[in-house]
Amino acid sequence: MAAQLGGKVSCTLGEVKNRADFIVYWGSNPADCHPRHLSRYTIAQKGRFLPRGRKDRTVVVVDVRETKTSNPADVFLQIRPGKDFEVLTTLRALVKGQPVNPQLVAETGVTVEQLQDLVDRMKRARFGVMFFGMGLTMTRGKHMNSMAILTLATEMNAFTKFVAMPMRGHGNVTGADVVMRWTTSYPFAINFSRGYPRYNPGEFSTVDLLVRGDVDAALVLGADPGATMPMPAINRLAGIPTIVLDPKVTHTSRLARVHITTATTGISAPGTSYRMDEVPLTLRPPLRSPYPTDEEVVRRIHQAVARKPDWLTAHSGTSPIAQA
Amino acid sequence: MLRITGGRVYDPANGINGVIKDVCIADGRVVADVTDGRTIDATGLVVFPGGVDVHTHVAGGSVNFARGMTPEDHRRAAAFVRSQSLRSGIGGMTPTTFATGYLYAGMGWTTVNEAAVPILFAKHTHEELRDIPIVDKCSMILMANNEILLDLLEAGEHERARHLVAWQIWASKAYGIKAVNPGGVVSWKWGKNSSQLSSPIEGYRNVTPGTIVSGLARIVDELGLPHPLHLHCNNLGAPGNVSTTIETMKLLEGHRAHMAHLQYHAYGGDDWHTMCSATPKVAEYFNAHPNLTADAGAVLFGDTVTITADGPWQHLLYKLTGRKWGNLDVENETGCGIVPYSYRPNNLVNAVQWAVGLELMLLIDDPWRLHLTTDHPNGACFWRYPEIIQLLMNADFRKDCLKSLTPHARERIFLPDITREYTLYEIAIITSAGPARALALPQKGQLGVGADADLVIYHEDKDVAKMFSHPRYVIKAGEVVVEEGEIRNVVEGRPFLVQTTYDPDIEGYLRPFFESYYTMSFENYPVEMSRLEKAEVFECKRAK
Repeated sequence: MAAQLGGKVSCTLGEVKNRADFIVYWGSNPADCHPRHLSRYTIAQKGRFLPRGRKDRTVVVVDVRETKTSNPADVFLQIRPGKDFEVLTTLRALVKGQPVNPQLVAETGVTVEQLQDLVDRMKRARFGVMFFGMGLTMTRGKHMNSMAILTLATEMNAFTKFVAMPMRGHGNVTGADVVMRWTTSYPFAINFSRGYPRYNPGEFSTVDLLVRGDVDAALVLGADPGATMPMPAINRLAGIPTIVLDPKVTHTSRLARVHITTATTGISAPGTSYRMDEVPLTLRPPLRSPYPTDEEVVRRIHQAVARKPDWLTAHSGTSPIAQA
Repeated sequence: MLRITGGRVYDPANGINGVIKDVCIADGRVVADVTDGRTIDATGLVVFPGGVDVHTHVAGGSVNFARGMTPEDHRRAAAFVRSQSLRSGIGGMTPTTFATGYLYAGMGWTTVNEAAVPILFAKHTHEELRDIPIVDKCSMILMANNEILLDLLEAGEHERARHLVAWQIWASKAYGIKAVNPGGVVSWKWGKNSSQLSSPIEGYRNVTPGTIVSGLARIVDELGLPHPLHLHCNNLGAPGNVSTTIETMKLLEGHRAHMAHLQYHAYGGDDWHTMCSATPKVAEYFNAHPNLTADAGAVLFGDTVTITADGPWQHLLYKLTGRKWGNLDVENETGCGIVPYSYRPNNLVNAVQWAVGLELMLLIDDPWRLHLTTDHPNGACFWRYPEIIQLLMNADFRKDCLKSLTPHARERIFLPDITREYTLYEIAIITSAGPARALALPQKGQLGVGADADLVIYHEDKDVAKMFSHPRYVIKAGEVVVEEGEIRNVVEGRPFLVQTTYDPDIEGYLRPFFESYYTMSFENYPVEMSRLEKAEVFECKRAK
């Protein structure tokens, strides 16, 4: 959503591995949450232009508390919770040499001097990257925080090469995002009820639809909203016919009307996964499963639905909304 | 079986210029005669071979990035409502895949070439291409900033470079090679650009944009690829870049090459205030050199989004416009930049760009070597091609349009003095027969016996834009897909790719580089053949 507002200056992870001599983790703790990230792509790796690996890189962590990621960092800035947007905006001002108010900056938990030092280091870098996680994107300010960090990276390109990248998780969430965009133009929160895709986050997002009670059936695929969504949304899922496709028993499958056990994608089912930098990877399952794949189940449901009279045609001339 | 009777047929590949004759179709191909089946009475109508787009951006990482970045456009764009046979979607600057197929077919285009594929994203591109219905498609991979290739050129290992290129084409199931701002995108990885053809690029001692251009052109000819080197020159969009363009064309003497979106490379002047058209110079050189083909990359006024692998240019465009900027550098291979853009007639630069695109099409004598494109979506969206056809066929209409430019702009262009008008025969060449020949697709762009039965039937109209926007019938592989402006029948398009031959030892050379500098396993890199449905594989022709 932040990229919709101001764009996004990014790269694939190999660019980070080969070139990034300056790495920032903001509100992100990959040492715990993306355990292979640090060793495969960033700190521990030697790159094409960084033959000494860790010694050639400066690592900065910005977070509200010390973490496993912040321990080995060269610079750790501990900011107060909910002050990310203020810090990012101050950095943008300092990058451009604008005056800032030290008292207001102090409220964020860091000093102007600390931030000026960070800006100086950023400008000295040959290739800087800022990874940001849910500590930034899911706290107060949400996508406006993401936009602030993306804009900071964008504006840094007036001085040196700089990129930013969200630390995405949840399996193949990027793949869902990518496919939705090429089929509908939009990444999520899409409503097909008029026969074409409409987009309005906050209105058509899953949580909002559930909380408002607009939904009278749900199909959950590769997700466990029963574990993460707010209670009113979970209660709604429990009250309507909810179908879950999942290899395992989950919070959502326990409250669902139907749970279809499927093969685990990547382990016993083939497919394509999109990495968080949108690079597609072929999944080659080493095992076989007695269960059908997600794709097969969805295809069979679709075939069965297709045999029913067409919804749009059946309601032509009358307003389905008025009937409901 | 199908017979189209009584239509006035324009089939330039077979020298047929507006002759009233029957076209017969069986099993998806044109045949000499049929005995039964449906007959379409095309009396009073015009029959063209299906359109071929030699250069467009309709699928893959960069287009999908642009879709995600521009929801404000989707909201005002045409909505495609689903039916029992059609998928829903959104039109606009970067239509969704299904809408792309419907829009191209709805206009009578039946083959498209996706002109910029990073190899690392080739799987994604093929997945999207598969979701573009009706039209056949091929793709070009980005090679001019591939660091493995550049290392080999640096070391003077031409032979191995050729094997590498051949391997990459087959690995990505592509049809040809695209070069974008040779060397410039490598420099961009360090925030720089390459504007001089003879200066070494950032991080290399010997390799210059010039050596990349001539090296790749030689490799393409040695491999005997059906389509020549597809080249986006250095200094795209910059005032005074005509000198770079002509120098580049000189480097290509003795080789085949396709100059992509030539409009963006034909400017004079020293800066944005003195920018002017330099089309006579380009046209003069181009006319005298039959080794070259080109596509127009014409501009139309209005809103669009620019998508290119030319990262440094997009950074400049972002600084100029202050609008959204998307950038995605692809490890060891290329880059990509996205900036929404509005072309305005009262803006000097935009006015010059608009005129330059048309001037090139009017000043280049041989329609066989210049193809109609807008570098979709960069100059304008592909679904606006009929507007360009109208500008080419009607000099009076051009004169009216010129009135919307400022007098200052009119002094810097040559368009007001050009009176040439295209004939229908020439339109059939620049939209179909020419690009099919450039892509070396012998079964496309013609209606001779044995050709693919892709054709379009127009209702002749004085309003040329209307005539070409709303064909009466569109037939793809012998099936009537469009009738009376409606998609009646959706057929699947096929992917075209080239089988190359290479020394298998190249994999042994690649693997260590790959394991050190890429971030996926070597086995995961090539596109599996199983991802392509009903692919048609072309052989390379060994050059002399």
